[in-house]
Parts: sequence; structure tokens; C-alpha cells
Amino acid sequence: MVVGEFTIGADLLILGGGPGGYAAAIRASQLGKSVTLVEKSGFGGVCLHEGCIPSKAIISQAELYHRIKQSSSQGIRLMHATVEMEQLQVWKQTVIDQLAQGVTGKMKGRGINLVQGEAAFVSENEVRVLTEHGSERYRFQQCIIATGSIPVELPSFPFDGNHILNSTDALNLKHIPKKLVVIGGGYIGLELGIAYRKLGSEVIVLESANQLLSGTDEGLVHVLTKHLKILGIDVYLHTRASLYHCVNGEVLIEAVVQGERRTFVADEVLVTVGRKPNSTDLGLQQAGIEADKLGFILTNNQLRTTNPKVYAIGDVAGHPMLAHKASYEGKVAAEVIAGLASTKDASVIPSIIFTDPEIASVGLTEKQANERGIKVFVGRSSFAANGRAHLSGSQDGYIQVIAEHSTKRVLGVHIAGPEAATVIAEAALAIEMCATVYDLTLTIHAHPTWSETLAEAAESVQNISSS
Amino acid sequence: MYVEWKLPDVGEGIHEAEIIRILAKIDDVVQADQVILEMQTDKAVVEIPSPVHGKVVQINVFEGELVRVGTVVFAFETTFENQTGNHPQTVGGENKLSPALTTPYIRKLARELAIDLQSVTGTGKGGRILEEDLRAHKEKDDRKGAAVLESVKDIPAPSAGLEERVPLRGLRRTIAERMVQSKFTAPQVTGMDDVDVSELVKIRKRAAAWAVEQGIKLTYLPFVIKAVISGLKKYPYLNAVIDADANEIILKRYYNIGIAIDTPEGLLVPVIKHADTKSIMELAAEISTLTEKALNRTLHVDDLQGSTFTISNIGSFGGKFATPILNYPEAAIMATGRITRKPVVQGEDTIVIRDIMTVSLTFDHRVIDGGMSARFNQHVFHYLENPILQLLELR
Repeated sequence: MVVGEFTIGADLLILGGGPGGYAAAIRASQLGKSVTLVEKSGFGGVCLHEGCIPSKAIISQAELYHRIKQSSSQGIRLMHATVEMEQLQVWKQTVIDQLAQGVTGKMKGRGINLVQGEAAFVSENEVRVLTEHGSERYRFQQCIIATGSIPVELPSFPFDGNHILNSTDALNLKHIPKKLVVIGGGYIGLELGIAYRKLGSEVIVLESANQLLSGTDEGLVHVLTKHLKILGIDVYLHTRASLYHCVNGEVLIEAVVQGERRTFVADEVLVTVGRKPNSTDLGLQQAGIEADKLGFILTNNQLRTTNPKVYAIGDVAGHPMLAHKASYEGKVAAEVIAGLASTKDASVIPSIIFTDPEIASVGLTEKQANERGIKVFVGRSSFAANGRAHLSGSQDGYIQVIAEHSTKRVLGVHIAGPEAATVIAEAALAIEMCATVYDLTLTIHAHPTWSETLAEAAESVQNISSS
Repeated sequence: MYVEWKLPDVGEGIHEAEIIRILAKIDDVVQADQVILEMQTDKAVVEIPSPVHGKVVQINVFEGELVRVGTVVFAFETTFENQTGNHPQTVGGENKLSPALTTPYIRKLARELAIDLQSVTGTGKGGRILEEDLRAHKEKDDRKGAAVLESVKDIPAPSAGLEERVPLRGLRRTIAERMVQSKFTAPQVTGMDDVDVSELVKIRKRAAAWAVEQGIKLTYLPFVIKAVISGLKKYPYLNAVIDADANEIILKRYYNIGIAIDTPEGLLVPVIKHADTKSIMELAAEISTLTEKALNRTLHVDDLQGSTFTISNIGSFGGKFATPILNYPEAAIMATGRITRKPVVQGEDTIVIRDIMTVSLTFDHRVIDGGMSARFNQHVFHYLENPILQLLELR
């Protein structure tokens, strides 16, 4: 028992101020709920402070620098272009601060009570919040857990912020590593690996599985792998890093590559072997909230947990760990709490990997359709035929459309290529609207744009199916 | 292969069911037909068998939750043997594709209107469900009288401790919905009478002693049922339902008698099927069985469906008269009150003590008028006053 603790009543208590908790707070307050939101570090969450936003800041500047260096053959010669990492970080922080201010301002404007502190359940309707000044107890009518996820640490490579970095550390570097080894060829490792390669690092990626981006459509990964080679990134598959030592400021990494021992040398090692739900220190048991063996909180299709007063959304409630999925779930949970007939109902969730080329995917892949016994047509169109892609300097990759065999209804769209992240939005809408490949083809696509390739991929389904 | 199990439409007018027990866990391998769920529907607890042999990969409900028809309750993986435990995160997310051919806005609208999209016929391209289809479906639904109880809203917050909020769930909710539907659909009239059952009291007393030896508890109810059926045969409009869509009255030539039973969870009305073909003793035995099943909550959905006329004995609680509410869509319901010894004027100026039973009969005035209901009552009362007449119709 903490001395001097007193209990505060809360209509709706939200734990976590990331894209999920923030969206839930706004929606609930629109629906007339009085909301208290507890955040332990920055409002805006991992997404804004150490995820989506800062990574895109680094990636976009790396891409700009990369383009500048290549642009002499296209008629622009810039002498002595250099990267000033410290200035880049200052700019990145300015953008984050602006966005964070927007988030807090919007919540404060709606009268949402913002609390800075770390929360844990003490009973089925009470939470203790440790703040800078002491401890407060909140008794809630309803609660939403939106505590997100944290990076997984390898026992043999504990994060030290100096030689062994997690993704957050890598986003805050004030210098460019000369030699960077990335352990884990998932989307975070590859996004950052490519960015630092473009900024000038030598980059090596070690992946334990037999494929990069495990779980992603193989065709898309193939396009990326080819491009990594062009960028000069060395990829080692079937590779397990076992230990490291520091010698003269350098890190020596012992690894087994396809059964053979090998040593890699780096200035810094970035470990990106996945993220895990941030649920261990929440005192879930005290509140009767069940989680699975990986730590994901169990919820139903209205996001309710095994405690009927408590909801869980976003990363902490299961895959896919995506900011936009968290926001969607946050809104649904808020609406359910306000008594609306809301439920998790999205047919598909688009997902994007900001590599070069970008990879974006929505709906079923060909493999998934086959596994479910759904007969499909697969249409494909390459960016090599897209004028705009050539002008933007990247014409690798393609768009693939998966359509139901009998109805030609679009079931999935998968893109590896320029502006995949933008083009996928149209595909997601097409699937939600139950569009057929005919609908996509008959919609006039402006010229010259990247999305023309989507219409062409849809048309190629028509051609296959009618021949 | 990935298989989803949705809460099916289990009976007329049922939009929701309460999950009582979940008998499988995530990652459990279940056999086809293995019971995986118990749920409360139409006044009975129903066991749900697994539709497939497979691994449970998703459970979307919790015990005690009220689930709408059409909700995906379980998902199974039937080709689980050749799969590894931890699925990697796939790009593209859950890949659950909407089963109904329609758009997100229509799905939201359907939720708000409490419409199961599976039951809507789409008139758009390739059977796509349009907003007009939903509205049309809703209108049809409303006409059918599928009354949805308005959720209790706008009640000021109670001061702590002085009020308790009990969720309207399960049986209580079903009763509430049925009563609202009945009361707001059929114009109901109740008539009340005294019936001299002195003869019946004597006969029942003698017969009951004999029945006990057979292990049967003989109450007045079987005699009432027999008298009522005789009346229903003569006045078929009291054994009828109205079909509002067709503008027709359906007269039923079978006699299934619902009997109202008070249980700790609430009112249950199990049905004695083809009561006209059963003897007094058979009826008595069946009443005992159904009462016991009702109290143990082991009634099957079948036991609770198909009644054509309902009898409620309020006398066992000491009640005299009542205004019973129709067991909709039936056209009439009878409540029998307590039998008491009362002074009755006989002949010119003699007062005698007789056994008097009170009877209340509610009828649907759309189907039946006061005259007919009175004639039906006279017929039934005649049989109750002269139980010997029942011998004449014995089969």
C-alpha cells in the first residue's frame, strides 16, 4: 500500500496514448463519455515517437540523398551533398513535436483528462497509476487497454543503446554507422537497413529463416531481394547469430550461416527480431483479464476481454501489429462502450512495408486462397510498362490481383514497387466494396500515375479468364 | 481449410442467444459432432456440436455474452496437422473476407437495425445487398411483429446502493420480448367466471388416491385440458392463429396444449402435443415429466414449441382472477384460479356450500368476439361442472 494514495473515479479509463488509445479517447468523448487517458511516455505512442513517424523521417531523407546522388545522369548535378545526421535528428524531432502537440491539443480540446504515469490493475475495476509525484488509484466504469508492444530482445544480444541497438536507438542515432549488422530480416530491420545503406553505411542482414519478411508473399520478397543486391546490402539467410564481443570499439558477431561458423564485424548491431505485446506488467490477473501464452490479451469481436468492464485494442490484443488496425479497434471499442451496435467488421487490413521498393498487401494471397480451397485467377502487371514509374527512377516490381474464379471479385492485391503504399488504398476500398476486376478496369485511372498498373493487373485477370 | 461457425437462426423470431458454457479452448482439436457450446435460446438450453473435425483457432464470444444471429462464434482449421504452431505475421492481416456480398456501410446499418445479412436477399449486381434491400427487409420484419424490446435508455444514474441493474438476459429477456410482442400486436379481452366444480372435486379426490398407487400425481389440470379440448373442437377459432401477411386466420385441427410453469428463472411453457389423443392419466404423467424438466432446465426446444392453446393455473399460488396475456400468436389463453368452498344460492332461496373454481379467458379480439368466447366458456364449464360427460368423449 502506498501512503497518501487516494481514489479517483473515472467514467472511461484508457491505458496508453498511441494511435489506438488516442482514437478511442476521441471517439468516446464524441459519444459523450468522460475520458481519462494514462500514458507512460509520450502522447502519440510508439507510432509517433519511436515507430512509424520517425522511421519515415529517416527513410524519406535517406531516399532523397540516394536520389540526389543518382540524379547526375538525369540532368541534376549537386556538388558535395553530405548528410548531417545531427541536423536530420533535429528536424525529425521538430516534426514529432509538432504532431505530438497536435495530438495532445486535440485531446485537451475535447476535455480528455491526460495523466502521465505507469498503470497497473489492482482489482477488477481499479488501476493504480504511478506518476512522478506519487501514486493514484482510479476506479473505472470501463477501461480500454491500449498499451501496444515492445521490441523482443535476444538473450545473447541484450540492448545497450551503444553497440547493440533496438529500433528506437537506431532511429535516434546522431551519426551514420560505418558498418551496420541487422539481426532479423523483418520489416523493421529491412526498412532501417535500407535507409542506413542509402545514408552510407555498409549493411549486412542476418535472418534465421529461409526467407526475408517471413509470412509475406514470396513473389514480393523476390523483387525486394533483387533490389537489396543492387543497393549493395548483403543478406544471409538460415543464419543464427549466437554471441558477440567488442574489440577496439568494433563488434565481432559469431554466427552460424547455413551450418558454417562465421564472424561478422560491425560498429553497431541492430536487433529487430519482432515485437511482443506490452502486457506483462499490467497486473492483468488482478482484474481477471486473460492473455494467451504469447501475452496477447484475449478479446472478442467487440474487443471485450474476459473482464466485462475491460476492453483491449491494438498490438496488445493481437496481430497484425499495425497503427491503423489499433485506431480502428479503438473506435470500435469506444462505440461498443457507448452502447452502439459496433463490432470489428473490416474485411481486410492493408499492410505496408516501407522498403525500396515498397511492399504493400491487402486481402488474400494466392497461397492463402489455395489453402482455404478458394479457386482464384491471378493477374499481374509489371511497373516496367508504367511511364511514371520510369520517371521516378524505380520501375522494378509489379502489382498482382487475386480474384475469385467464378465471380471475378477482387480478394487480394499485392504490390512490390514504387508508391505501393499509396496505390494499396484503392485496392482496400475495392475489396471492401466487393468490386470485381471489371469494376477496377472500368474505373478510369489518370495518366501518368502508378495506379494505372493496378487497372492493368485487373485487366490481365479478365484476359486470362476469357482465354 | 479454414471454417467459420456462425450462430444460426435457431427458431422463429430469435435474433440473439446467450452463451452459457464454452466447452472448447483455442488450439483444442475437436471431433465433428463433439459438443463445444451450450447456449440459451427460445427458453431452452441447446448444445451445439462442432461442425467439423479440426483445431479451434478462434473463439469470438465469452460465457454470459449475448450473441446475435450470424455472429462468427468459432473458427476452425481443418488442415491443422501439417501446420506449425506459431503462425508468422502475414502481410495483409487477418484475411477474413466479408461473407455477405455488400459494403462496409451496409454492414454497419445491418448491425444497427439488428438484421442478419445472411437472411437478406440482395437485388444488386450479382446479389449484392443494397440499402433498399435492408430497408425492405426491416419493414417486412416489423410487419411480422418481431418486436424488439427498446433498450432501456435515458434513465438517470442511480444513487449508489439504492438501485441495482440486472442485465435483461436469457429467459427473462425472451419473456419480456414475447410479452411486448403479444400485448402490442393483439387486442386482448379477458372474461372472468365462476365455475361450480363440486362434482369434479369429488371425482378427482377418489381418482387421485388411485393414481398415487400408480405413481402418478393427478391434479385438476388434466380434467381442465379435456374440457378445453372439447370446447376447442366445437369452437375452432379459439385454436387458431392469425396470418397477418396473408390476411388469413389459420384454424388448427390439432390440439397442442401449452402449460405455464413457474421456475426460479422465470415462466416456461412446455407443450403437451396432441393432448386430445391422450387419457387423463397420460396427461397427468406428462404434466409431471414436463414440470420436472422445466425445473431442471432440461427441456428440449421441441418441448417448448408448437402449442395451439395455453392454460395457466394461477390457483396453485392462491390466485383468483387474472388477465393472462396471450401466448402469441395463439388466439386464446385460459387461467384457472383457486378452488374455494363458497355459499351459492340454489333454486328459489336455498343457500348451499359448493366448490367454486374461477376461470379467466383472454382472447384475441381480431379473431374472436365476446359472443363466441362466452359460448366456448359455457361449453367448457358444462364439462367441468358435469365431469361425467367427459366419459362420453373418452377414446
